Amino acid sequence: MKKLSSVYIALILVFLFAPIAVLIFFSFNAGSSTSTFSGFSLRWYLELFRNGEILDALKNSLILAVASSAIATLLGTAAAFGIHHMKNKHLKNGVMTATNIPMMNPEIITGISLMFLFVFVGGLLGLQTKLNFWTMLIAHITFNLPYVILNVLPKFKQMDKSLPEAALDLGCTPMQSFFKVQLPAILPGVLTGMIMAFTMSLDDFVISYFTSGVDFQTLPVLIYSMTKKSVKPTIYALSSIIFVVILALLLLSNREKSSDERLEAKRLKAEKKRREAIIKAQKSGKAPKQPKREAVYEAKAPRRSRSYLNKIVAVCCAFAVIVSLCVMLGVYSKNTITLNVYNWGEYISDGSEGSLDVNKAFEAYCANELGMKVKVNYVTYTSNEDLYAKLSTDAVSYDVIIPSDYMIARLASEGLLAEIDFDNIPNYEECISEDFRGLYYDPEDKYSVPYTYGMIGIIYNANVVSEEDIGDWDLMWNEKYKGDIVQFNNARDAFGTAFYKLGLDVNSTDVADWERGLAELKTQKPYLDKYVMDEIFNMMESGEAAVGAYYAGDYLTMLDNQAENVDLQLYYPDNTNLFIDAMCIPASTQNKSLAEEYINFMLSEEVAIANAEYICYASPHSVVYNSETYKEDMGEEAIEILYPKNFNFHEAYNSNCYKDLDADTKKLLNELWENLKISN
Amino acid sequence: MTKKNVISENGIRRNPPQKKGLLQRYAAAPHIVWSVLFIIAPLIFVAYYSFTDADGVFTLANISAFFTEKYLIIFFRSVKLALIATAICLLLGYPIAYFISRSKPKTQKVLILLLMLPMWMNFLIRTYAIMVLVQDTGIINSFLGKFGIGPIHILGTEGAVIIGMVYDYLPFMILPIYSVMSKLDNRLIEAASDLGCNGFGVLRKVIFPLSLSGVISGVTMVLVPSISTFYISQKLGGVDTLLIGDVIEQQYTASNYNMTASLSLILMLILLVGLAIVNHYSDGDGGGMMP
Amino acid sequence: MKRKLNETETFSETTESEQPPSDGCVAKTSNKIIELRNISKSFDGEPVLNDISLCINDSEFITFLGPSGCGKTTTLRIIGGFESPDIGDVFFDGARINNLPPYKRQVNTVFQKYALFPHLNVYDNIAFGLRIAKVKEAEIKERVTEMLKLVNLRGFEKRNVNLLSGGQQQRVAIARALINKPKVLLLDEPLGALDLKLRKDMQVELKNIQTKTGITFIYVTHDQEEALSMSDTVVVMAEGKIQQIGSPTDIYNEPVNAFVADFIGESNIIDGVMLEDFKVRFAGHTFVCLDKGFEKNEPIDVVVRPEDVDVVAVERGMLTGTVSSVTFKGVHYEIIVDIDGFKWMIQTTDYVAPEETIGLYIEPDAIHIMKKSEYSNMFGDYSSFSDELEHLSDITEDIEE
Repeated sequence: MKKLSSVYIALILVFLFAPIAVLIFFSFNAGSSTSTFSGFSLRWYLELFRNGEILDALKNSLILAVASSAIATLLGTAAAFGIHHMKNKHLKNGVMTATNIPMMNPEIITGISLMFLFVFVGGLLGLQTKLNFWTMLIAHITFNLPYVILNVLPKFKQMDKSLPEAALDLGCTPMQSFFKVQLPAILPGVLTGMIMAFTMSLDDFVISYFTSGVDFQTLPVLIYSMTKKSVKPTIYALSSIIFVVILALLLLSNREKSSDERLEAKRLKAEKKRREAIIKAQKSGKAPKQPKREAVYEAKAPRRSRSYLNKIVAVCCAFAVIVSLCVMLGVYSKNTITLNVYNWGEYISDGSEGSLDVNKAFEAYCANELGMKVKVNYVTYTSNEDLYAKLSTDAVSYDVIIPSDYMIARLASEGLLAEIDFDNIPNYEECISEDFRGLYYDPEDKYSVPYTYGMIGIIYNANVVSEEDIGDWDLMWNEKYKGDIVQFNNARDAFGTAFYKLGLDVNSTDVADWERGLAELKTQKPYLDKYVMDEIFNMMESGEAAVGAYYAGDYLTMLDNQAENVDLQLYYPDNTNLFIDAMCIPASTQNKSLAEEYINFMLSEEVAIANAEYICYASPHSVVYNSETYKEDMGEEAIEILYPKNFNFHEAYNSNCYKDLDADTKKLLNELWENLKISN
Repeated sequence: MTKKNVISENGIRRNPPQKKGLLQRYAAAPHIVWSVLFIIAPLIFVAYYSFTDADGVFTLANISAFFTEKYLIIFFRSVKLALIATAICLLLGYPIAYFISRSKPKTQKVLILLLMLPMWMNFLIRTYAIMVLVQDTGIINSFLGKFGIGPIHILGTEGAVIIGMVYDYLPFMILPIYSVMSKLDNRLIEAASDLGCNGFGVLRKVIFPLSLSGVISGVTMVLVPSISTFYISQKLGGVDTLLIGDVIEQQYTASNYNMTASLSLILMLILLVGLAIVNHYSDGDGGGMMP
Repeated sequence: MKRKLNETETFSETTESEQPPSDGCVAKTSNKIIELRNISKSFDGEPVLNDISLCINDSEFITFLGPSGCGKTTTLRIIGGFESPDIGDVFFDGARINNLPPYKRQVNTVFQKYALFPHLNVYDNIAFGLRIAKVKEAEIKERVTEMLKLVNLRGFEKRNVNLLSGGQQQRVAIARALINKPKVLLLDEPLGALDLKLRKDMQVELKNIQTKTGITFIYVTHDQEEALSMSDTVVVMAEGKIQQIGSPTDIYNEPVNAFVADFIGESNIIDGVMLEDFKVRFAGHTFVCLDKGFEKNEPIDVVVRPEDVDVVAVERGMLTGTVSSVTFKGVHYEIIVDIDGFKWMIQTTDYVAPEETIGLYIEPDAIHIMKKSEYSNMFGDYSSFSDELEHLSDITEDIEE
């Protein structure tokens, strides 16, 4: 039985720790895959310390966790004290029920309900940014409060009722009685509550996801957007470090405690001996009047360590409060201008693997050339619709965004974009050729500066897919590869594939066309592994999926990371989507001229090449695609894929691009898409 | 303090009632205000958005939309998967809580520490690591492949979602049960054995009823997040493992606030009513999260 | 330590304090330190104290004695300032202190479960009151040392209070209260948690401390033996009312009613009729007694203590009964004797056999006559007596309090 239980416990622990072991293991991967190990290296740890986005998010998470747990501890301890002394049963029950709601309610509902409140109240107050650091702080305090109260309240109940009375009796005022007697008695509960609140806050994703704005991104929210695509081992490295730190802290605190306990046990033993001696002495007739002192195990040591601990705690608390105050002031300090850039994930050269950190470079440029202290706040989204959702509700305000063509048309038509003053972007004239001007989404070139363009291709694993099945869109509907096919997890692109396959106009307004598209997608659904966006990287690289349509540029990234037994290839179907992503400035911008400065900076030669090489998408920048170094760095094969020969961009684009659909069609599209996804 | 004594009808001087200290009376006030502003009020907004359309006009359309086949199928799938995950957690977690609570105090401490440790890792990353583990070319399948088995296709199935839920929430089941069991008086078990219960009888007749409050709080702590998750199904699920949480998140991303609200409201009401019923029949205070 | 006496509420009291003391107050006005006047108190509509009036003299050892729920602890808490009376007034040194908070009263308390501060060691616990009063550390050290000597705890300064034995904790609690040199020390069942042997030792020690310091002790207990052996004055309480106030011997020898007689020691309480002065009839026999001043043929309660009944041969006995049980108690036998259906308890040093018929002899001074009261016929019959039951009732009392 004993053996059995040990084996069982061991198995459960293996189950719990296996993923963590995998994660730590892959943090030392020399390659950038999270599923194939290609040798030991520490590069991701170095990468981590160079990655400003992750470090910023970590810093933000810590600030938020410290501030929210400290405030929740103050509020919650006071509340527990008040609740404990409440005479009115109904009031007490009411307060306890309200307190328990955030614990009982699914997090998603707590998050959404708070988001509603913030957006509504923010609207009433006419705030530009309805979701920001403060809303997150409020949300975190709210879900932390119950943890504090539920840890502190039992301590009040356990406390000898006479203790506060004894304090009053000995001359304490009620205030003194609280601080000198009751607080020390409940301190363990307060600390446990605070630590729990801190952890919950640090780890929270769901509530943060719904209440975070653009200017303050926490680590879990960042990780969420990162895990939407292939996660780089950087984040594994960070997790490993956090894991080791926590392990060390827990071991340390445990050791401290047990050494205390050992000492006390020793003392108890000594005490017992002493008592026995007294009893013996009494029996033998000479009772010692004065109990003999035992000099050996005086209570000095544990006492010192306890007060030591108290001091540490006090210092930590004070420190936490000071830091959070400083930071709160710092977040809104007037000297620094914050430029909010909202972009796709992995869509800018970010300094990893020796590349140029564009945002850092821009900050340096502002400081050196313009004498301005600028902080680029860089946030990522995963789809045009995400971006639209954030923009249209004005929950947040951005300065530079990089949407796709049809979204630009939509945003412009709804008046959500600001007209760009091209006088402030001198690089535009010489870099952006006629080919990329006057396109349908911005016929007068008022709102946008092209950033990248590309085509959708079909990527397949040549080790799985046989040669004769290749050709046009049919591969995506091939039953032979059932369970190995992945389709776009976004309405426009998914319907696009069906439309191209059927030879329909992707911008059709005919309901019948869309119904046909839906039927086609429904026939495809049983063959699918999953609807994906950037998860496709990992799935294709690892061989989990064998067929999928995606952006050609991303295929190049996949090639770099594919597993040994995977051989990825790409081909363009006859009709396929062409897209352009362009930089725009939202109408709600607070720093239009700085945003223009940023766009101009992005067009400068060095930066544009760095971005093009990093992103691997085709660049509309004439300097870039004529640059020899660029061609060399990318390699011939890549250049061929990105810039097919004998290819008239203008013509192909006009016939195959997505245009902004009218409202009815958009609504129809959304309904059909929802219908498809939840159909069985 | 009133200096005049109150004289009641029968002529007896009554002293003014003693009031509690300011500290005691108003200590909970900030919390009460906070709760009203940030717990109660947001829920009112959820209700408000549920019953209005995009123009703020009253409508029941959002609510009635839930009771159509497509949403009900998803809802019942969420319930099914969450219940299975909870049951597995209970089956796995109960014995381990029992074993730990019966081991030496020092071992108990270490084991509980080990159980809690994974919870300190970000849950998104843990879930992602599971994905790496179980995918067709993942570690498990390549291991099995060496013996000529598989690959077993797990990722994208309901099974994978359940594995994810069990993995993420198992500690939430173990800790409350353990915390109740560790407080269980050993003499009760001895008394039961003394009265003729065999090992299984002791478990069934004494230990299980006494640990029920822990079980209930564990079940709650696993069921609620499982039923409402959207990340686990997003990462580990496939084309037909959409859960109610996913739908809520999708509606939010599509800026359809009214539908977001109505789905949230219905999910919340169903859960709260369910939990209230369970709590009513158990009326235990439950085990805390912390041992 | 000087407390701000001028903060006591003296307003409107000039007239009140001149009111004649109510009847509960024994008229020893010379050095009274605390006076309770017509105190009533109820919790959630449940009356706990009903019109209590009482004077407590300086340097006195006074004990509130009564079963649980009799209101003794509430009375103590009203004096300590932890509760305020619904009706009535509390006076301290002639000043009304109804609403004076505990920290402004010259009174200190030893709590039932000691209420030592778990985060402080022995020294810091004892020094607590002085530190609050901002006494200089040097003086504190001197006084703590003195206190530790008084309570026999020298060398325990640095000890963790949670690891002390019950008796040691008790001493720390006493020292912590006494160091503030209160005028009055309140002790709420301070020995309740100790085992019998230790309790006896502590009783002696407490009495010594009281004599040495000359501080007024107000002591609450439900243990009648403890009350009798330590106190100068005993206040017997029941159902929120004072039943009797007096010295231990008065209380024991001349209980005013059946309740007091039953509660203090063992007693046989029998219905009787006072035929005339010095002549009483009960149990079918007419006895000579020492009491007088009753109506002719007035129904009364007769108290006869078990140790005052002599067992004699049947023919010499005033009463005759059958022994129904005999228990050996060490110094004596405790026998239950059935006399015409009424069970008497008798303590005797001579062995008698069960079922034996014996004669009983009662001296006139062994008979105490009490007026009829609401407690008549509730006590005094030993037909259902059992040691174990008595023990059980003690336990429930412990739990309740």
